[in-house]
Amino acid sequence: MAQRRELMTGSTASLLLCLIGYQPMYGYQIIKELEKRSQGYFNLKEGTLYPALHRLERAGLIQGKWQVLPSGQQRKYYHLTDKGLSILVEKRSQWQDFLTAMNLIIQPAST
Amino acid sequence: MSHYLDSVRHNLRLDLSSEREVITELETHIEDRFQELREAGLSEEEAAKNCEKLLGSTKLVARQIYEAHSQGTWGQTLLASMPHLLFALLFALNWWQGIGWLLVMLGLVLATVIYGWCHGKPTWLFPWLGYSLLPVVTAGLFLLFLPKGWSWLAILIYIPLALLLLYAIIVQTIKRDWLYSSVMLFPLPIIIGWFLAIESGERFPELSMQRLNDFAPWIGLSFLALALAVAMFIRLRKRWLKVAVLLISGLLTLGMVAYYTKGMLGLPAFLVLILVMLGLFLTPALVERKIRRGDQRVSDAKGSHCN
Repeated sequence: MAQRRELMTGSTASLLLCLIGYQPMYGYQIIKELEKRSQGYFNLKEGTLYPALHRLERAGLIQGKWQVLPSGQQRKYYHLTDKGLSILVEKRSQWQDFLTAMNLIIQPAST
Repeated sequence: MSHYLDSVRHNLRLDLSSEREVITELETHIEDRFQELREAGLSEEEAAKNCEKLLGSTKLVARQIYEAHSQGTWGQTLLASMPHLLFALLFALNWWQGIGWLLVMLGLVLATVIYGWCHGKPTWLFPWLGYSLLPVVTAGLFLLFLPKGWSWLAILIYIPLALLLLYAIIVQTIKRDWLYSSVMLFPLPIIIGWFLAIESGERFPELSMQRLNDFAPWIGLSFLALALAVAMFIRLRKRWLKVAVLLISGLLTLGMVAYYTKGMLGLPAFLVLILVMLGLFLTPALVERKIRRGDQRVSDAKGSHCN
């Protein structure tokens, strides 16, 4: 569990950019979507999510927009900025290279 | 859950509009999560407890969100350092000799403070606010030059009003964040140090113009040091680093004043100034704690009254 948390810490930003890249999302939706798409592997805590979202917003990678729902509730939807999109493309490529290299080491050599 | 959000709010220390947004976002999230847990069959109490557990420690959440917002932009950094830079120029270029420049500076400081105060008290406002308090203090000192009898009468009326104004401004600043109050009061011991080194003669406060002229470049340098310290303060994210920068740079700048005045500032005065600096630094933190305890008691009393 501790190792998983360690891996998560370095990947949170990439995961959030990826998800928000699919469609604009609000915080609670991001957590549920992350859990669903990873089949329960990623279980991001709320206390981690919002600081991460705010960091990305301050860095200009995502932008939040408030929407008022018919119930009167306000939700902040985050969408990717152009800068966020270019960073996401870069990160996807980095992850692909990383996974390819890891697989070469982890997978047993074919006989 | 409102208790949880209140606790986050108390620890956030952001400007009002950012604070409102953060709290609204967390509140909406809590409502969604609460509904999910209720639909899963949990009681209201269990659902509320689970929500709090999932969100985590209020202090940790608030601190991490604060750190996401705490680093000022380069524009804000420049604005915050500006009053110190302008005073540095005033002395380095000997503009202090012209009353016109002094009036321009005073006008600029007051206009900036009024603008910043009415526009959400942004981070860059607080160094300017510190300089805006100087005329209040200086006006009190100049009342001593009124004709005999009148000066003491004027001071007796002036001091309570001045203290009330200073207290109101300081408390408002502390409510925003005690660190900003320290930033606001930061140059005061340095200015007092220079004043004591320059002041000569038995009658207070006779300024030695020659000394002021001699020390002007070093006065400018000390204000430049303050500008650098404030710039670092604005750019740093972590709160403990901001505290360290203010404390260390304040003590170093005081040391600079003692060194460049070549013994004019005696050791006892220097030590008193260090104590004044530490006092001005720590007192806002203690006052904030007291204000929060008071607010907490009022909040608890309201909660038990509703129950």
